[in-house]
Amino acid sequence: MSVRDPENAAPLTARNLTTGYARKNILEHLDFEILHGCFTVLIGPNGCGKSTLLRALCNLMPVRDGGVLLDGRQISEFSTKEIARRVGVLAQGPVAPEGLTVEDLARQGRYPHRSLFGQWSDEDETACRTALELTALTHLKDRAIDSLSGGQRQRAWIAMTLAQQTGILLLDEPTTYLDLAHQIEVLDLVQRLVREQQTTVVAVLHDINQAARYADHIVAMKDGRIAVQGSPEEVINKETIEAVFGVRVAIVACPVDGAPLAVPLTGRQK
Amino acid sequence: MRKSVTLLILGIFAVFLLSLRLGDQPIPYSQIIGVLTGDPDAAVAAQLIVLEVRLPRAILALLVGMALAVAGAIIQTVMRNPLAEPGLLGINSGGALAALILIVYFRNESAHLVPWAAFAGAFLMAAAIYGFSWRSGASPVRIILIGIGLGSMAGAGASFISAFGEIAVVQQAQVWLAGSVYNAGWDKVQVLAIWLVLPFVLTMAASRELDLLSFSEMSARSLGQRVEIARAVLILLCTMISGAAVAAAGLIGFIGLISPHVARRFVGHSHHRMVPVAALVGGFLVLTADLIGRTVMAPAQLPAGIVTAILGAPFFAFLLWERRYVRS
Repeated sequence: MSVRDPENAAPLTARNLTTGYARKNILEHLDFEILHGCFTVLIGPNGCGKSTLLRALCNLMPVRDGGVLLDGRQISEFSTKEIARRVGVLAQGPVAPEGLTVEDLARQGRYPHRSLFGQWSDEDETACRTALELTALTHLKDRAIDSLSGGQRQRAWIAMTLAQQTGILLLDEPTTYLDLAHQIEVLDLVQRLVREQQTTVVAVLHDINQAARYADHIVAMKDGRIAVQGSPEEVINKETIEAVFGVRVAIVACPVDGAPLAVPLTGRQK
Repeated sequence: MRKSVTLLILGIFAVFLLSLRLGDQPIPYSQIIGVLTGDPDAAVAAQLIVLEVRLPRAILALLVGMALAVAGAIIQTVMRNPLAEPGLLGINSGGALAALILIVYFRNESAHLVPWAAFAGAFLMAAAIYGFSWRSGASPVRIILIGIGLGSMAGAGASFISAFGEIAVVQQAQVWLAGSVYNAGWDKVQVLAIWLVLPFVLTMAASRELDLLSFSEMSARSLGQRVEIARAVLILLCTMISGAAVAAAGLIGFIGLISPHVARRFVGHSHHRMVPVAALVGGFLVLTADLIGRTVMAPAQLPAGIVTAILGAPFFAFLLWERRYVRS
């Protein structure tokens, strides 16, 4: 992964980044590179700064020190629309206005591509159609978001970020509050985007075992720092999980694909 | 959708004709058509009544309704609160207070000056609401709470002036304040139309910004919207529209609240359709309210604002009742 090769250079990089809310710094002097074309998963206990990092990476956080580089340039030099044409973000638990349809939601993704008086173009139409096809929502496009199941709703939001046609997607807890079937539905979709569309995806997940099964690269965070990062095999081990989550685990190989799974020890087993 | 909009336009047309026909002296349709088409043989009295009294009044009611509805549509979206209304937020009472001061203390009822005063009052109010609720970003809930607070202060100010101002002037102002188009004339119509054209056009141009503002702030920002700027510009447009409507017809409540709801039901959420339909609904409602107000107790005239309040409150209850199973 050479920086001189623009095709594979890290598209989004945090350098010595310090950011936070009010008077409190959440992240301090953090360095982080997103790997091009990979599915990176951020894991870590609540409040460790995963969401903050995700927001900082798309310029939604005030930067106190250091900065974020997008395609090698300071992200603050880009206009907000330019950023939104390159980086798509799905916030945690997003809310749509009551009665909004799936198609209307997807169309919002075209906002950064349109000028103030620009008309709806064929390109916009194609992007929306493709986004709905990829998320398998074409047959539901006229349904109201609030009438959908949790998984369909999350897919509709992902369709919006896909209509944005960005090379990078940042997903903040895309599976939280979904039942197992819908979690798998969303993660399968993300995996397909990475494999088939060469999208670079960074997602915050709470389930370590799902992270191990789906991620190309795992970043474990604790107290605003990156504790460990690497392939699932490198990150998911007894020592790291105990250090990061404070939970003792046994590691077993996944019977399906051999990924390392962490099984928490309970009660007397400890 | 097309059907409901067609019905709405037909409804406006029908009420508009009725407004020209009904009154102390009913005028048959044949004469109305004669007057409107400039037939030189039309009766002089009919010409006078239709062209100088009823026509400007109907048009003014229509415009005021449109203005209130558009202002309501903007503020409901910007505040992301379906109960927001320029009246509720105190923007209208700010405008009314300023206009009242001009009328009572400066004895000036000029159709050209009152809108400026009302706009200034509405704008100051909106700026104060926004300023007080700003804490590294202005949250919709704080805006509403502070708006209600400042609004009742402005209301108290207006009551104070009414209580201690000179009775004759105050009484005149009271009718206007209660929300009435009774003294409509072409000059008022002209001023209001001029005030509204630019904000209406800009609001339509900003319909995409409005679409996005109805999402959570994070979603809007992550799509590249400069949320604070968009919000500030739209609030400014809303105060211009509200100020102009208040100057022309005082405080007419409920229209700004109800019309966007009805419009959303007809054509959905997309603002490039919702805003114009809301304007039609608002126009229809005020036109109807004024017609009812001046015929039901004739020769006494109920201000349209009182009629909208009487009809609006049950309608609002109906809205809530009908939505009782919708998840919150």
